[in-house]
Amino acid sequence: MRKFFPVEELARDERFTQITMRQSEADPRTVLLAEPTGKRPKTNRLTPDRPDASEAARSLMHGIFVGEIQALEGAGRTCFDFETGSGDAPDTVPFALKLDMARQAWDEARHVEISVKLSDWMGSEIGQFAENTVLFEVACSNDPVLRLAGVNRALEGLAIDVFTTMKEFGDMAGDPYLEFCEDWMLADEVTHVKMGSDWLRRVTENDPERRKNALEFQSVVDKIFSFGGTRSDSNESPIGLARRFRELAGFTNTEVQEIADVSLKALEERKAFSAASLNDGDTEHSETGTGTEQLADA
Amino acid sequence: MADPYKPRAPFAPWDRRQLPGTFDVEETARRVGNYKWAEMKLFEALGGWVATVPELDVKMRLGTHCYHHAWHAELWHKRLPELREMNPDRLTVPANDAMERFVEALTEPEAADQTIEKLVGVYRVFIPHFIAAYTYHRNNTSEITDAPTIRSLNFALHDEFDDWRDGEMMIQSLIETPDEVDRAAAHQAKLEKLMLEAGGIAGPGSIGGQ
Amino acid sequence: MSVTVTPEAFRFVQFDSGTVTRVAQELIAALGIDRPVHIEIDETTPLGRVRATIGAADGDAIAISVESGAFEDSRRPRQQSEAATAVSLGRILLRVRDRLHGGFGEAPADDDLELRQMAAWETYCAGRLARLGLHVNQQRWLYNFRNRHGFTDTADAGFHQLWAADGLTWGEVDAISTAATVRS
Repeated sequence: MRKFFPVEELARDERFTQITMRQSEADPRTVLLAEPTGKRPKTNRLTPDRPDASEAARSLMHGIFVGEIQALEGAGRTCFDFETGSGDAPDTVPFALKLDMARQAWDEARHVEISVKLSDWMGSEIGQFAENTVLFEVACSNDPVLRLAGVNRALEGLAIDVFTTMKEFGDMAGDPYLEFCEDWMLADEVTHVKMGSDWLRRVTENDPERRKNALEFQSVVDKIFSFGGTRSDSNESPIGLARRFRELAGFTNTEVQEIADVSLKALEERKAFSAASLNDGDTEHSETGTGTEQLADA
Repeated sequence: MADPYKPRAPFAPWDRRQLPGTFDVEETARRVGNYKWAEMKLFEALGGWVATVPELDVKMRLGTHCYHHAWHAELWHKRLPELREMNPDRLTVPANDAMERFVEALTEPEAADQTIEKLVGVYRVFIPHFIAAYTYHRNNTSEITDAPTIRSLNFALHDEFDDWRDGEMMIQSLIETPDEVDRAAAHQAKLEKLMLEAGGIAGPGSIGGQ
Repeated sequence: MSVTVTPEAFRFVQFDSGTVTRVAQELIAALGIDRPVHIEIDETTPLGRVRATIGAADGDAIAISVESGAFEDSRRPRQQSEAATAVSLGRILLRVRDRLHGGFGEAPADDDLELRQMAAWETYCAGRLARLGLHVNQQRWLYNFRNRHGFTDTADAGFHQLWAADGLTWGEVDAISTAATVRS
């Protein structure tokens, strides 16, 4: 088995269809553009009073499901891809870090199990929505510290936001399973973020340059995982920023604000990009994809 | 209530533990170091394979089992300093070269259509040898002086039996043709020969009879 | 009956207007709808709302406006799904037929329907489509119904009553929906 497994070869059964982030972003259609007509809601936040609430929740749940699969795969690869060592250089990781990654693999495997059950409960089929593979791409970095920054801090941070939104959705709708399950998964994600923060600090203790690079990488990933504004403080975003749980996970107020700023910027850029695409009518039909965030009532 | 000052036997009538054991501290540390190395290689392989298997149920089980073996490695890592090995890395080694070659062969399959080989290596060869070595160790070490190792062995054995059953059932559910029976058997034989050469998880004498 | 689809060619999605026409023709034949149907697809949005107007421009025609997500293959974004096309059109055409066939005179306009009323009517439509042989995931519609009526045995009973029903009036649909929201 090779070290560093390519994202293009992630193994799936025939029910799954995978797309890349680039393909996903190439879709010029957007719900936000039509706002000036006044026909669309002022808020996109995922709440039960949205007319498409059930479909949007199902779609997001499937996005969580495939995200958990990739998180499981990423944690597993970090156990295998690097030799055990001091962690001072990018080709080794400390033994205890590997143990934490193995623990995370178990947690993510449980999350996949939970997501399958919840998807079934919500009436979705496995593979019903396209799988965006951006998460595993982030988990493929050759430097384990970048994986910690990108996956444990940025991605698992996003998971905190998503699970909080879904937990609130379940609570408001009176869905006993959704609220219960999201609460449990949220507890695990807070642990994973703390794990990432702790290891990032420890491994780069004597290497400020490496730490700086990792934090820059995290910022880039935070922006990517804002999915063009899908997650931000703005009500235009379906998923809110879970400030309280992020603080529990060890993010400082400054860090949370930075993520908020990056997310809002991603939202604005997405709107500008979509407006330009629509005006140009310059669409490549070879590209596909709105990814896991299709808000269709179909 | 009985008189609390009346002398009682230090070992209750039902406590039949014996003092003598087959292994001294040094030998126990050597074996524990081999166990840790082997458990590490196993959890790393399981973690690495998760991304390579298309079967969703197998993918999830590998992720779960990955942690079981990482935890066993951690138990052995913590036991080593208690066995006078203050540098656990020194004893975290394969029993011999053949064991290293066994792990190389075990982790060789990568392709998405080799799930049978991956599972056979783990659940029909590696884990049965863990069960054998751990059982031998548990039944032959001093029940009094080496109680901490026995406790860890029992935890590990509990997982090993559960994981073996999971793995064996996954293999049986994946094998659908006589050709696949042959594939599984051939891979098992290939790995078993390497394990034979290694002499078991802790080398020759892993299950006694040296 | 005639079916027209606009646009004929698409820029943002890979849809085929011929497929939409064929699916619509099969549905109006199966549902016994005897009016011309015009379908207008908004390919600039991935949302999936579908609206209908009865008695459009040329008198008795049915005008259906569709956001592209309604016909989209959720596995392959921007590609068309014939199954999704059929179910989306089937749901709206059944609502149109309900309004045309009487018994639904007092039903509010689509925009004025409460969320629970829409969920109830959609359930009634989805059940009938399933019996027509279309691929409809019952659990999906149960989940939608529960979100609007509560996660209770009472709500589930209302759902199954609507799912299995045929020939209901709006008053009956609304009454079942109202009863389904009562907490036991």
